[in-house]
Amino acid sequence: MKLKSVKGNIELPCMEVILVPVEKVMANNYNPNRVPENNMKLLEQSIIDNGFCFPIVVIYDDVIDKYIVIDGFHRYTVLKERLQVKEIPVVVLKHDLSQRMAATVQFNRARGVHQVELMGDLVQALVNQGMEDEEIAKHLGMEYDEVYRLKQITGIAELFKNQTYSKSWQMMEVDENV
Amino acid sequence: MLKQVYTNESVLEATKRRIEAVFDDWENIVVSISGGKDSTVLAHLALQEAHKRNRKIGLFFLDEEVVYESTVNQIRYLMNLYPENTNKLWLQIELHLTNATSLTEGQLICWERGKHKIWMRSKEPDSIQYKPWDKEKETIRDKNKGFGFYDALDNFQNSRKDTCFLVGLRATESMNRWRAVAKNPGHKDWFWSTKGQNGNISAYPLYDWNFHDVWKYIYDNNLKYSKIYDYQFKKGLSINEIRVSSLIHEKSFKALVELPEFEPKTYDKLLKRVGGIAVGHLYGKDSKMLRTRKLPKNFKDWREYRDFLLSTYPDESKKWIFEKRFARHLDNNYVARQQCRQLLLNDYENNLPVKNDVDPIEKIKEKWRALL
Repeated sequence: MKLKSVKGNIELPCMEVILVPVEKVMANNYNPNRVPENNMKLLEQSIIDNGFCFPIVVIYDDVIDKYIVIDGFHRYTVLKERLQVKEIPVVVLKHDLSQRMAATVQFNRARGVHQVELMGDLVQALVNQGMEDEEIAKHLGMEYDEVYRLKQITGIAELFKNQTYSKSWQMMEVDENV
Repeated sequence: MLKQVYTNESVLEATKRRIEAVFDDWENIVVSISGGKDSTVLAHLALQEAHKRNRKIGLFFLDEEVVYESTVNQIRYLMNLYPENTNKLWLQIELHLTNATSLTEGQLICWERGKHKIWMRSKEPDSIQYKPWDKEKETIRDKNKGFGFYDALDNFQNSRKDTCFLVGLRATESMNRWRAVAKNPGHKDWFWSTKGQNGNISAYPLYDWNFHDVWKYIYDNNLKYSKIYDYQFKKGLSINEIRVSSLIHEKSFKALVELPEFEPKTYDKLLKRVGGIAVGHLYGKDSKMLRTRKLPKNFKDWREYRDFLLSTYPDESKKWIFEKRFARHLDNNYVARQQCRQLLLNDYENNLPVKNDVDPIEKIKEKWRALL
């Protein structure tokens, strides 16, 4: 099965997912991506909330009879260690080592960032729908502090409205011996 | 000896008096604005006084092209607050800027002729687009670098005479600059001013303000301010370290890390405009790559890393600048780390000078040796 595109036919490995035993899957030894602990929690929450939507991308190494992860190492870790599942959904690519390394970086890097302002709007919308700060923090993987800051749509100047102005000072010639 | 002595006035009352005095003594007044919070407050105070006296003052903005869109919006806002009291002095000319993120494109010439298709934005219809000074008399601080930001400031100021330039410098923000200012009054007993050429002075009426005074003034007067401040605050920066800086020079490349989250369109345009931007975005806060805090694991010390960086420096036409400079330095790890930073940030202009000193660790060791 293939997708026709303006740049030729596109393969569809995502249509050929298989379930393999968890002990037959192993990490690669070159992945530079590191997911911080708080985002691992978010990943786990995301899998619980949404189900496992994207298979792990692997190649099959027939010398050691193992599937080696190209993309999805952290989702694989969550499934294996935090959720302790027996089987893992994978798609198997036929890449050589250099193709695999390139693919790993492509998968990691080709992603977006969240615009701060829109993220603020999104949090505000969740608040308006009656979601508590604690729930927002848990489901979006944020610290309470971040939720609070994003909620503040008033802006910085508002924080200082009740301040009083400082005392003025001058530079003066002072005799030190007095 | 000169000392700080507190008065019974608030900084706001005192500054209003200072600005009245400026209007009493000077016919020509120009406020330098950057889009930041301090110069926003200063411009507003000066414009109100100008309005009261039915006079015109200049608002001067030196536009480096590669700036936040929020900065440009802020400048437009200020220029149009009191149009009948404002002389727009929005300068958009070619300047040689340092690009710290690229080894092959070490400089960016902003507003470069013939490249208008990739400029970050079009020029303002009513800006000053040609150098408004005598070409013959033009001064340049560093010929190797070419005509830069500070040259434009110098030449612009020197093209005027009997003018008071108002600048939003605050002592708590930059103590060193303040000390230099307070030494010699530029006019009468105004220790908050310095003398320039052609009877010009620069004056700093906000010198005693703290950052919370600035924000309170902005709130009380319902002024707009650059959105970057709110973005950075939402991202968790502490409130007194928030800055609106230029985007590419050696002290501000860290801004690139968050730029796609703040202003994605500005980031996209910047990517097309100049090389090295993606490097700044990905590694701007990385301790090894650009900030030179940690030694990469394949080198035994900073000297070895420095030698490696120098031998692989890609631009042969600039390599000698580093070699000549480093030859005058001490050869120790403390100095070598700073040399690495210059090489990584492509700082052939020596904007981040190397402290040529004995390794402080050696001093400590020596102290212990003496004790034991």
